[in-house]
Amino acid sequence: MSEKKQTMKDDYLWDRSGKPDPEVQKLEAALGRYRHNQPAPSFEKIRDLRPVKQHWSIFSLRWSYQLGAVAAVVLLAATVFLVLRPKPTENAGPSWAVARLEGTPRVGWHSVGEKSGPVKMGIGQTLVTDGSSRASITLDETGRVEVDAGSRLRLVTNGPGRKRLSLERGTIHATIWAPPGEFVVDTPSAVAVDLGCVYTLHVDDSGAGLLRTTMGWVGFKLNGQESFIPAGAVCKTRPKIGPGTPYMEDAPASFLDALSRFDFESITPAERNALLGILLADARKNDALTIWHLLSRVSDADRQGVYDRLASLAPPPAGVTRNGILRLDRPMLDSWWNSFGFGDIYLWRTYERDWSQHPSTDK
Amino acid sequence: MERQAVTVWPVAESREDDSLVSAARDGDRAAFGRLYDRYARMVHGILLARVPPREVDDLVQEVFLLALRRLHALRDVSRFGAWLGTITRNRANDYFRKEIPAERVTDPVSEDQAESRTTNRTAELEAKMILALVRALPEAYREPLILRLVEGMTGPEIAERTGLTHGSVRVNLFRGMRLLREKLDEAAGSQGLSAT
Repeated sequence: MSEKKQTMKDDYLWDRSGKPDPEVQKLEAALGRYRHNQPAPSFEKIRDLRPVKQHWSIFSLRWSYQLGAVAAVVLLAATVFLVLRPKPTENAGPSWAVARLEGTPRVGWHSVGEKSGPVKMGIGQTLVTDGSSRASITLDETGRVEVDAGSRLRLVTNGPGRKRLSLERGTIHATIWAPPGEFVVDTPSAVAVDLGCVYTLHVDDSGAGLLRTTMGWVGFKLNGQESFIPAGAVCKTRPKIGPGTPYMEDAPASFLDALSRFDFESITPAERNALLGILLADARKNDALTIWHLLSRVSDADRQGVYDRLASLAPPPAGVTRNGILRLDRPMLDSWWNSFGFGDIYLWRTYERDWSQHPSTDK
Repeated sequence: MERQAVTVWPVAESREDDSLVSAARDGDRAAFGRLYDRYARMVHGILLARVPPREVDDLVQEVFLLALRRLHALRDVSRFGAWLGTITRNRANDYFRKEIPAERVTDPVSEDQAESRTTNRTAELEAKMILALVRALPEAYREPLILRLVEGMTGPEIAERTGLTHGSVRVNLFRGMRLLREKLDEAAGSQGLSAT
C-alpha cells in the first residue's frame, strides 16, 4: 500500500476523515452493539449526598439511645439470620444445555438422543460420550464446548462469573466469549484458565493432557507452576508434574524432543544441561515464548544463558534489566512477556488471584 | 436500534465543560446531568475494557454517583475528564476485589425477539469474539480502541475527554489497531472470523 493511501486510512481511524478504512468500518459495525445508550439518571431527584451537620440536643440524645437499642436488636437478628440461613449453592447461574452432535451421549442417566432435544446439565453431573457419540454444551454468556467421542466431562461449579468443568478424559474444543478468567477446566494434571478464546484440550487415560490454543491465550497451572499458551502454541501436562513448557507447533523436531525430555523425564543434571543447550541453540525467534518460560524453570546458574538467548531473540523492553530478570523480578518478567504481544499478563495476574481464592480451586 | 454516529469534537466544548463542572460543584444537578451526557461514553468504554459487559451499565451509574458525591473535592475543573477516568478505573479494579455480584434473572423474550436473536446469532458471536480479542490486548491499547471502535469517539475527542495528549492517544490507537489486525488475521485462519 502506498504511503499516501496508508495515511488516508490512518486519518479515518484517527478522526474519521479521509477515505474510510473498510476493516475499521466493519469493526465499528460489529462492536457498535456494545455502545453506551443509557439515558442520564435524574440527578435532580437524588437527595443531597454531602454529609449533613448534626444538631444535637438532650431530646435527640434520648431518641438516639432508643434508636441505638432498636439497631442493636436488628443487628442481632441479622447476625442470627446470616449464620443460620441456608448457604447459597454454586449452581446459581443458568444451566448448560447439552445437545447431541452424533450418536447418543449421556448426561447422568439421561440419554441425549436425536429426538430428545437439548438436556440441562446440573452441578456434579457428568456428560459421557462413547466411542461413537459427540455432543456440544452451550451457555449463552460463557461460550460453547464441543465434546469429542470417548470423553467424560463433569460440571463442577456454575456460579455467577465462574464456570468450572472437569475433563476426566477425552477431548473438548472450547470457544469462550466470557471475560478472561471466568471459564476454568480441571484436568487430572493441571487447571486450564481461559484468557479468551478458542482452544482444544485433550486428556488421555493416564491423566496426561495436551492443550492447543488457536485463538487468544490460555493459562495452565498446577502447584504454582504456570504456563501461558498463546494462539499457535501447545502445552503438555503430566500427572504429579503439572504443565510443561509451552512451545510453538512449528518448532523444529530436535527442539520439541529436547523440550519433552527436559520437562518430563527423570534425567541427570548433566543430561539436563545438555538438553538446555539444545533448546537454546535451536530456538528460533518464534520460540521466544518457550525460552521466556524457561527463565523461571532453570537454576540460578543456568538463568544467565537463558537470559542471553532470549535477549538475542526478543530484546527486553525498556525498564527490564538483566539483574532484574536473573532475580526473577515479577514485574520485569511480566513486562517482557507483554512485549511479545500475545496478551496482557495483567489479565492473568488479576483473574488468577480471583479463582485461586476459591476454596476448591487451587490444586 | 440505530446507534449514535462518531462524533467530531468541538473545541469550544472544553470551555463549556469547565463551566458545567463549576456549576455542578456548586450543586447544579442539571449541569451534572449534562456532564453525564458528555462523559458517559468515556466511562462506559473504560469499564468495558475491564469488566464483563453485562455489568457495565450498572457500573456507569455507580461511577457518576460516586463522582457526584466527591465533586466538591475536585480542585482543577479543567481536569474533570482525567479525574473521572481515574474514578472509573478504580471502580473497575474494585469490581474484581469484591465478591462477584449475583447474576440477574434473564427476562423472558417475545417470539419476535427470539427470532431476531437467532437471525443475529452469527453477528452476535462475532462481536463477542472481537470484543474478547480487544480486551486481551495490552491495557494501553484496549482503552483507546474501545473508545474509538465501540463508543464511536474520535481520537481528538478521546484525548480531550481523558486528559491525555493527542500524541499518546494516536500512538496507542494505531499500535493497538495493528496488533488487533494481527489477532484478527490469526483468528480468521482458525475460525473464519474476519474483519475484512
